[in-house]
Amino acid sequence: MSIVAEAANPIIRWEWVVDEWDQIREALVQHIELTVLSVALGSLVAAILSAIALRYRPMTSPITGFAGFLYTIPSVALFGLLVPYFGLTRTTAVLPLAMYTLLILVTNTLAGFDAVPSAVRDAADGMGLTPTQRVLKVELPLALPYIIAGLRIAVVSTVGLVTVAAIIGQGGLGRLILDGLRRTFWTPMTIGAVLSIVMALLLDGLIYGLGRMATPWTQRARTT
Amino acid sequence: MDPAGTDDVTATLFGQAAVPRDVGVFEFLSSSQYWTGAGGILTSLWDTVVLCGAVALVATLIAVPLATMLAHYGRGELSVTWIVTLSRAVPTFAIAGLLVPISLRRGWGFEPWPIFIALLLLALPPIYLNTYTAVKDVDRGVVDAARAMGFNERHVVFRVEMALGTAVILAGIRVAAVQVVATEPIRAFLGGDGLGRYVRDGLGQNNDSLLLAGAILVATLAALTGALFGVAQRLALPPGVRRLARARDR
Amino acid sequence: MINRLIEPSSGRLEINGTDILDQPVTELRRNIGYVIQQVGLFPHRTVGQNIATVPRTLGWDKQRTAERVEELGRLVGLEAAMFDRYPDELSGGQQQRVGVARALAADPPVLLMDEPFGAVDPIVRNRLQDELLALQQQVHKTIVLVTHDIDEALRLADRIALLNVGGILEQYATPDDLLRDPANEFVEQFVGQDRGMKRLTLKTVAELPYTQGPVVDATATTTEALAVAEAHGVDWVGVVRDERFLGWADRTDLTNGAVMADLPVARPSARVTPDSSLRNAMELIMTGRTSVAVIDDGGRFGGVVTLDTIRSSLGSELGS
Repeated sequence: MSIVAEAANPIIRWEWVVDEWDQIREALVQHIELTVLSVALGSLVAAILSAIALRYRPMTSPITGFAGFLYTIPSVALFGLLVPYFGLTRTTAVLPLAMYTLLILVTNTLAGFDAVPSAVRDAADGMGLTPTQRVLKVELPLALPYIIAGLRIAVVSTVGLVTVAAIIGQGGLGRLILDGLRRTFWTPMTIGAVLSIVMALLLDGLIYGLGRMATPWTQRARTT
Repeated sequence: MDPAGTDDVTATLFGQAAVPRDVGVFEFLSSSQYWTGAGGILTSLWDTVVLCGAVALVATLIAVPLATMLAHYGRGELSVTWIVTLSRAVPTFAIAGLLVPISLRRGWGFEPWPIFIALLLLALPPIYLNTYTAVKDVDRGVVDAARAMGFNERHVVFRVEMALGTAVILAGIRVAAVQVVATEPIRAFLGGDGLGRYVRDGLGQNNDSLLLAGAILVATLAALTGALFGVAQRLALPPGVRRLARARDR
Repeated sequence: MINRLIEPSSGRLEINGTDILDQPVTELRRNIGYVIQQVGLFPHRTVGQNIATVPRTLGWDKQRTAERVEELGRLVGLEAAMFDRYPDELSGGQQQRVGVARALAADPPVLLMDEPFGAVDPIVRNRLQDELLALQQQVHKTIVLVTHDIDEALRLADRIALLNVGGILEQYATPDDLLRDPANEFVEQFVGQDRGMKRLTLKTVAELPYTQGPVVDATATTTEALAVAEAHGVDWVGVVRDERFLGWADRTDLTNGAVMADLPVARPSARVTPDSSLRNAMELIMTGRTSVAVIDDGGRFGGVVTLDTIRSSLGSELGS
């Protein structure tokens, strides 16, 4: 193949960044939208699945098994399988991305609830908290560090996977990457790849910070 | 830009799968004419298997010795925490994309180095983590007993720590292999082939049969990989440990 | 089972005449303070918030809750500075105090304690037991305390229900009755070989039918003293002035008709208070120079204790 002359095709050409800023911003926004939608949908479903598993313990294995199975379906295959039904739409992108978050979210939520010391649970019951109060005021806050850890991984991996949704015409920054590859023009590709990685780190840091604020008791060390 | 990518450089570069639109998914997958031959499914499958096998092998050769040594000497505890966090978040597509221009400049072409390295980064963490915990979690009493009986460090590592940890190490390789096989199809969008090409070409030609067939092939291979390693994992458990594991399960 | 964390299979459990099954379980539990071995403080809430749990669920207003928390802090000996800390920042003993304060928060009539001091070291346990006894003096609750430690039970309890494996009631008695008269072999085994000594630990000098013994006032003459000694059949007398015990005078010195105050007296080597345990008194008598311990009731002479008085207080069955 003939490659465009090296001088004309550096890793990044800043004029292009300036000229095509609208396109970049659009890709950024779409990337964030897809990430947020997917993680939100995934969180909702994960919350329901976790609640079922916590309420009916024997359901734990089937539920985590199902989430684990979904996780092993190749993303390219899953996008591909949904295209005939939903077309090259946002739905086709969000459904698989949400499915992939289920495993980590459910696993961590269950681990968080399991990590609540039984003494604390007994104490809550013994003091006359209703089951709902116990879950909302005691168990959920204590499981929060685990849930947040799961959320961080879910968000970071979703940001990475959104790029793959470019193959079905979605994908935010992934479209810049794919576009650059197709045209062997490196600037959009570099911009897309770098921004997606930066976005993952920033979102991770954001959730980490919010998580710390939500769980002040985890920061103070035992003094004795 | 047409999202379906009829102007797909990579597709035209490597030749598209020529499948008439009216061929159904089942017909495509069951006719030998699409399996054999230069551009057949078997060729693509082989491409994928070779690349994934190479990635898994190299990742194992790097991660297992490294993790074993670090765990044996009790170092690198911090690496585990970091890798646990990072392992689920490796942006393979972005990394592979970034590597393409570098690879081209060195004259190594679109393929297979960028995707190979990106997949390697994906495969290393699970193997490293499982090996590290496997070695770390070996009963210290057993290790002390081995030393007391005159095992040297090498014996301790190979005959005790790794031997007892084999199943857990294999579990790590299994996770890595499944992830690699599941991610490898993006190679078709990075200027390569492999099983992902049917999804790519199905999308490019707006041919749902081809698209579905490709998706089914890719998903099946991932499932088979998991199953295969699952069996290997079970066989690798020392009989004594296997009995114990069964007793515990009960 | 009292707070229905385990449902009773049969029988009746009443608190203040109300069957526990006749009220909503959460309401029942809010009226029973509950302290467990692992404390079970809520790690995500500060000490103050932990103590305030039940008042808040009962819908107390902020002002009243805050006052109650402060009051309880004083009661169990927690500094106010600790209220804003998280449980993980406290020592085991402090955590258990918070646990007790939390259980008492809504002033429940009944306090359930499930091995409350099982997880702390023996020294802290001892102190917490003392504190619990002192606390009980102030709050007067019905406390049901579960323990595997027979010494703890003997020390803290007014009555002990000794349960065998499977919840079989072996004996229900006061600590003293349990030691003096074990219902069966199991109880005897459980309280241990040294149950006589344990009873000595339980009983105090004040419970003894002790006497003044052979004592005379410092103004008495030797002749009067001799008569006292002879009356008691001993060869010594104690000398007392202004209700204070001065010491012992030997019979051989009681010869010249002098006043007792002028005689040389041996200062007492063993002193106990009415609060001292009999075990303590016995130890002093065994290791002291005299075979008698003097009871010092806040500076006043109370009487004397001898091994004979101790032995007779335990009842004849121990001698056999």
